[in-house]
Amino acid sequence: MKKIVVLFLCISQFVIAQKVVDFDTEDFYYLKKSQSLKVTLNKDIFTITNDVFEKAKYNTANKLFFANDLIHFDSFTEIKNIEAYTENGASKSKVDHFETKDSFGGNVFFSDQQSINFVFPSVKKGAETTLTYQENIKDPHFLGSFQFGSFVPTKEAVYTVEVPNNVTLGFKAFNFEKANVQFEKKENKKTTTYTWTANNVSDFRKEDKSLSILNYLPHVIVYIKNYTEKGVEKPVLNDVKDLYSWYVSLKDQVDRSGLEEVFSIAQNLTKDLKTDKEKAKAIFHWVQENITYVAFEDGLGGFIPRGAASVCSKRYGDCKDMANILFEMLNHVGIDAHHTWIGTRDRPYSYYEVPTPIVDNHMITTVFIDGETIFLDATDSYVPFGMPSSFIQSKEALIGISDDEFRIVKVPIQAKEKSTSLIETTITLEESTLKASGKRTMSGYEMVDFIHDAKYKKDDTSYEEYLNNKYQIGNNKTAYTKIDLGDLSSKKDSYLISYDIEINNYARKIGSKIYLNLNLEKPLSNDIILTEKQRYGKKIDHKFTRNYKTTFIIPDGYSLKSIPENIANELDMYGFTFTFEQKENKLIVSKIIYMNTLALENEQFEDYNIFIKSLIKAYKKSIVLEKV
Amino acid sequence: MKKIFAFALLLITTTSFSQHFKTYDWKENPTLHELTSAENEESSIAILKKNIVEFKQSAITNNISVYETSHNIIRVNDDTGIAKHNQVYISMYNVKKIKSIKARTISKEGKITNLDENNIKQIENVEEYGDFQIFAIEGAEVGSEIEVLYTVEKEFSPFGTETLQFDYPIKRSEMLFISNNLTGNIKTYNTDQTFDRTYLGENLVEELILTDIPATVEEDYATTESNKMYAAYQCFGNPDLTQDDLWNNTITNIAAGYFPREIDKSAIAEVKNVILKGQKIDISQYKKASLLENYVKSNFTVIENRNEQLNDIEYILKNKTASEFSIVKAYAHFLEAMEIEYQIVITANRFEHKFDPEFYSPNALRSFLIYLPEIKQYISPTRIDYRLSEAPSSVLGNYGAFINKNVEYYFAKITQYDPEYSRIKRVMDISFSDDFDKVTIDEYQEYSGHWGFQNRAIMTFYSGQDKEDFKDQLTGSGIEDKKILKFETENDEMNQTEYNLPYIIKSVTESSALLEEAGDSYIFQLGKIIGIQSELYQEKERIHPIEMPYQNQYNYTITVDIPNGYTLEGLESLEIDKKMEVDGELLCKWLSGYEIKGNKLVITIEESYYVNEFPKEHYEAFRQVINAASDFNKAAILFSAE
Repeated sequence: MKKIVVLFLCISQFVIAQKVVDFDTEDFYYLKKSQSLKVTLNKDIFTITNDVFEKAKYNTANKLFFANDLIHFDSFTEIKNIEAYTENGASKSKVDHFETKDSFGGNVFFSDQQSINFVFPSVKKGAETTLTYQENIKDPHFLGSFQFGSFVPTKEAVYTVEVPNNVTLGFKAFNFEKANVQFEKKENKKTTTYTWTANNVSDFRKEDKSLSILNYLPHVIVYIKNYTEKGVEKPVLNDVKDLYSWYVSLKDQVDRSGLEEVFSIAQNLTKDLKTDKEKAKAIFHWVQENITYVAFEDGLGGFIPRGAASVCSKRYGDCKDMANILFEMLNHVGIDAHHTWIGTRDRPYSYYEVPTPIVDNHMITTVFIDGETIFLDATDSYVPFGMPSSFIQSKEALIGISDDEFRIVKVPIQAKEKSTSLIETTITLEESTLKASGKRTMSGYEMVDFIHDAKYKKDDTSYEEYLNNKYQIGNNKTAYTKIDLGDLSSKKDSYLISYDIEINNYARKIGSKIYLNLNLEKPLSNDIILTEKQRYGKKIDHKFTRNYKTTFIIPDGYSLKSIPENIANELDMYGFTFTFEQKENKLIVSKIIYMNTLALENEQFEDYNIFIKSLIKAYKKSIVLEKV
Repeated sequence: MKKIFAFALLLITTTSFSQHFKTYDWKENPTLHELTSAENEESSIAILKKNIVEFKQSAITNNISVYETSHNIIRVNDDTGIAKHNQVYISMYNVKKIKSIKARTISKEGKITNLDENNIKQIENVEEYGDFQIFAIEGAEVGSEIEVLYTVEKEFSPFGTETLQFDYPIKRSEMLFISNNLTGNIKTYNTDQTFDRTYLGENLVEELILTDIPATVEEDYATTESNKMYAAYQCFGNPDLTQDDLWNNTITNIAAGYFPREIDKSAIAEVKNVILKGQKIDISQYKKASLLENYVKSNFTVIENRNEQLNDIEYILKNKTASEFSIVKAYAHFLEAMEIEYQIVITANRFEHKFDPEFYSPNALRSFLIYLPEIKQYISPTRIDYRLSEAPSSVLGNYGAFINKNVEYYFAKITQYDPEYSRIKRVMDISFSDDFDKVTIDEYQEYSGHWGFQNRAIMTFYSGQDKEDFKDQLTGSGIEDKKILKFETENDEMNQTEYNLPYIIKSVTESSALLEEAGDSYIFQLGKIIGIQSELYQEKERIHPIEMPYQNQYNYTITVDIPNGYTLEGLESLEIDKKMEVDGELLCKWLSGYEIKGNKLVITIEESYYVNEFPKEHYEAFRQVINAASDFNKAAILFSAE
């Protein structure tokens, strides 16, 4: 987080060349998007309305499907006064049919999200559509945010917030340099109005493998800090303290009755264990294995964990339910465990900057053992004890110490030495058929990824096809003569698989020489970044080190004529070393490839591509054998 | 609330009816079932899947009620098994009343956890599926059995289907069809087993018992979903209805709106003032129909919602909005106004349902096409990615009901008229930089038929990353450091009016990853320039018949400059000859070869699929033809200094 902020400061030193938008070449764009948020206060009760206006233009008939539109809302908001119509020159046709649908599917089992669906009539080339409605925001903790950009370009984007003069508004701007957002604050007699305006904003579309778009999309988050009534200042979300005490008030509603079974399980799991670490590990594994993750999004219920007794008997829960049962079990056996709020990596916010619920979307448990802080996220069923889930690395954890005390600790980025793959391969050659037997030992997130993929991404493919697609050892003609994937259900700190393979016609035999490329796997070789495909940085799930130890048995009657030179390109953020060593009738190739960053900014792409090209070059080198 | 409701029902119903579901129940004291070790290896396995469908006519009102009971017992052996079965969705489509829903788990230790019915949630108006009751199974852990039993009363509909095969194995599947002396029919699909008549008490019923149903298997070139085992049933009061009557009734009803007696005036005006404006009087029917389709697809939106006005032709023409069903009406009015003869084709997506003319089913009537018999082309009204063409691949090979203007219909298999319709032609010129560091590929490509539509649509509708990914595919995917120096397209507008106009791409790309050093020689990964090719695996016996999207062919000519001072070796890897012949008929082939012409190496490839359905008994031959491309993709040649 801090890194990103620093980076933005650097950028703002220069004048950023904003992408110039040529609206005439767009199929569809927004002429105007605006929202005006109005806060009123009467006897400690807030009334908050947000008037939304969107006007779009169909420049061609290529994307008429955007006529299908919808308004999302949840139980914290109410939608009123919807009006929608299409204009074709002077003729105007109104939308006459709106339909409310529950949201369904995706990763969430049950959600309070709903949408009002409708279709703009008579949409064709040149049509302009307008949508207006009012959002009533029921809880002053959820003022929300305004995004100046959208999935298509926007000609004009305006956000207005009006608050009474006895209400203090907090706000924080993000990525304004990407759209040249203008700000104006106007104090009137009774109210203060804040207005942000941006013109000709380019499109912002989510991308695969990129950093969160929120790192790039110009937006502003607003929140109510406090209000004064009868000379007394009353806090809402002044700072993290206020946010925390609100969270505590919700957490305190957790049902703590009937915990006998939960406690007895915890007791049984730990009765023969000596250290707190062993005990915590046993309990963590039990929750990972026995509580199935089922996601719910249900209003304020979405903030209150279900009682541990109920979660234990139902054997399922969402993140906060799992965090809470861990909390109960761990504390029961004397381990210092705490409820912890946290945002996943796609939310690039800090509690200090915006002390609002927008920062987090996840809950875990933190334990303190012998001065060590350990983050436990059982929603990841395969992550080893002691490591956080990979998607919360680098994020601020808001740890509840007591009802009045909290601590914010950054979840450390896990070092590349913690997620390793050691690939030991012995290669022999029979005519032009290559035979290899491989052993792969994985730890940390390398292990988590493997188990997760083997369980959920294999589908109906055979293990052979699955391994061929995953590692692309040799090529997709590789035949597996033996596969041992180990016991996917057991909990371990490292994981071993092994296999034997054969690849026909792999070596090229020409005259008395054999040409052979010993790089059966070429990790990262497809990783060149095309800037037109990757506008928002590159996200890397975890740091890793992969160590390939290959032993090639030189076939009888041949000698090594040419061995590639040792080569290395070791940089701070990534690197590789390839070394070749002949020992009697063996050639031992040792390759180490590492990734030591979680993110690449666009400015770093060029260097990264140079690095990848150097790696590809290293992969291209074959050995040459000659008949003696 | 729910309890009172159930109780009240009980009072009313026990006195007048005695449906089977009332006495059907799960075991009071369940225990875990014995499984073989192979069954325990499965991530999950159904021990029992039982469906009871009962039709019952009231003696007082003559109304027919329908009750459906579902009873499943599933063993979950690992966490993916739990994840597959621990969330239950019960569709409320056509449901009048929920009679009962209960669920429980029996743990390895025999502990029983019953579902707390307060945890059942309702969700409404989900996509096109309607409402659902949903709940998560309570107490599910590795090695436990999940048991779900529910009964719903449905609105009377004489037709229904029950899926009998799923993506997990089933030890025992039972289906009971109780018609209580009403006339009914039942038919099983994708299994040889049929229903037996048997007595349930004094009631004659139809019963189907299947054991050891394997899990469905996803295969390439297969219609997995529509090949599942299932049962279709019909039950109606009137005993005289034949299958012909059933088709006839429905088709006559549907067709009425599709052959209007009176053409809407605004449609006539639009044809005259917009669609055919400025066109010569004698333009071909192909062009006329294209102009119409281009107009509709540039002015109308097709949607699925509950707005009933979408069936009203005036509303449709005024608001330019229609449902998948009613957009055909708009076409009908325009076609009549343009005096183009047309037929309506009603069929189903072949990947979802195989049309059976011998047994009436509403599931067969899901896709609507317009067929122009004079030019043997189809309009696909709901497909924004298509224009006037041969039948799209979603329905190709399925049967359909073809209806003419006299509302006469016949069933026919939907076929492709021109076997050479879809073709990819590529001409590639390859040269090397002086230092053998880079390869340049200058390429000209023509995509005709279905390929052309696909490219036009993707390049028009996609944007950003997706579009760039597709451009990568169009210029040879899998070349690690490929740089696209030029990419130009022709005939890329969606709205075309000329028959089978190819989509053209002219590109120049560059890569150095295609060249590998080996001592002082260079290995050129020539095969890679045709892009990544899928590899068909088959360790198990082929299950599904082979169905390709459509007939198609590829013709490549690759010319490689041979730099001065180098000789070529390893050319034999370029020669591949694979084919599949059945009863003397050539069904598909791959043939690649080369010639040296001066300082050029010229490679030609011909890959052809003359039909789109292949017998699965010849799967191995088919696989060899398909894999020939992936073999060629591995071909490499060696340049050694003379």
